[in-house]
Amino acid sequence: MKTSPADKQAFQNMVPGVITAAGFLGDDTRSLERIIEEDGMFFDELGLDFDAVADRLEELQRRGEAGLGEPITVGELLVQSGDARGMLPCPWGDGFFHKNAVSVRPVGIPPESCLEGEDMLVYSELSVHMLRVHHFCQGRGSPFRLEPSLIKRLLF
Amino acid sequence: MNPILVGPLAVAGISTVLALIIAVLDKLLNNYGEVEISINGGEKKLKVKGGMPLLHTLAAENIFVPSACGGRGTCGACKCKVITDVGPHLPTEMPFMSQREIEGHIHLACQVKVRKNLEIELPRELFSIKKYKCHVEKIHNLTHDIKEVRFALDEGEIDFVSGQYVQLVVPPYGEIKESVQRAYSMSSVPSDTKHVELLIRLVPGGIATTYVHKFLKEGDAVELVGPFGEFRVHDTPAAMICVAGGSGMAPFKSIFYSLHETGAFPEKEIWYFFGARTSKDMFYLDALRELEATWPRFHFVAALSEPSPEEHWQGEAGLITEVLDRYLQTKVPKDTRGWEGYLCGSPGMINACINVMKKNGIAEDRIYYDKFA
Repeated sequence: MKTSPADKQAFQNMVPGVITAAGFLGDDTRSLERIIEEDGMFFDELGLDFDAVADRLEELQRRGEAGLGEPITVGELLVQSGDARGMLPCPWGDGFFHKNAVSVRPVGIPPESCLEGEDMLVYSELSVHMLRVHHFCQGRGSPFRLEPSLIKRLLF
Repeated sequence: MNPILVGPLAVAGISTVLALIIAVLDKLLNNYGEVEISINGGEKKLKVKGGMPLLHTLAAENIFVPSACGGRGTCGACKCKVITDVGPHLPTEMPFMSQREIEGHIHLACQVKVRKNLEIELPRELFSIKKYKCHVEKIHNLTHDIKEVRFALDEGEIDFVSGQYVQLVVPPYGEIKESVQRAYSMSSVPSDTKHVELLIRLVPGGIATTYVHKFLKEGDAVELVGPFGEFRVHDTPAAMICVAGGSGMAPFKSIFYSLHETGAFPEKEIWYFFGARTSKDMFYLDALRELEATWPRFHFVAALSEPSPEEHWQGEAGLITEVLDRYLQTKVPKDTRGWEGYLCGSPGMINACINVMKKNGIAEDRIYYDKFA
């Protein structure tokens, strides 16, 4: 697959130190196209829809905000919605998004034994935008990766 | 020569020549030589080498403008007035600028490259900000996600006012290849000039908090920059209505113990509302209750938003805003000295508390807070 100039620029913006210190690719060595293509296949296999997942994540963020910075129970989930100072541009250059971090984990697992990426989803407004518009879940090992199987297990 | 090698060698050769040309041009075109930065109408004049962003140029001269993103233009904290015409604002600056700021020549110091003599304005307080070398003396787990970290200064003393914050310089670690800085309120008292104590809550995915919680050890050397911030006790007789959650406890711990120690503002009554989800998320409960028992003007109200029956929680229950509202309506005495609000927490919590306080008669200009977001 030929890389579009927009994807090429976005990939350059995703490496550590450009937009964020950690970047968006984690320790994933795949190309951007492959990450998007393979996660798209996982979404299809799991019966997930990008818009529906993005809607659900935004809904949880809104409900988490009612906790005023502390975790709050939403059904079977514990949601914590926090903010950081500033805004982040999308690596594709199509918008700026408030820096924030929303964590979603099962109520039943004690917080101290919850592992990021295994039991707990962590995302931001930018994560949701990249998921909805660019179908990009972030690279494996990225702290904000939206792992399709975890999305399915926790949210649907 | 093997014809198969000709192509790659030609490409490599051309690339090398191009790289050399770029390097030479960069040296020639981006050599701005020595330039002068005049601060506050000449109150301070710096002779510096041009070519670097203003934020880094000032830091190299030991003038530390607050910044939480290391100069990537994503935190919007390093605003300063650049009187010299440096051209239009960059697209990276625009999300952080109001029309008034644009018209007032406010820029992000990290996005202004020092290419010529500059005239700028900075708050005078920034001149007294220093970088402190220190080491971690003690790390104490307050809850599963909040650590109390006590730093000992290796040299010098820190002079600050309770309520102010420092920036923790997080060195490269793990996959993080560059240093970042994050702001944390000091929880230690100003009289302890050789130490700084911070309360740091683990933020999932957070670079600085992950470093503190998973990498930082007692004995490690770190740097702190500060003190910054305007959050402090105001010299009025009004009762202080203080509200916090989580690591928002930090500035209040400093304020209360300092007031207790010095006896300052003796006419002020102090009400402290602290919220957590469950008793496992609550900390300093015994110490604050002891303080309340021995200090008549201090009143402590702890509240849990989701206590379980097994916890047998005896204190207040509900969101901290609901508890605050109840107390302001029925328990906190209303007298002629009035009330003023002090808040530390997430923007959502601060906004919700401001609404409750305004509803209960506290004027917005008497509600003080440091929004870290």
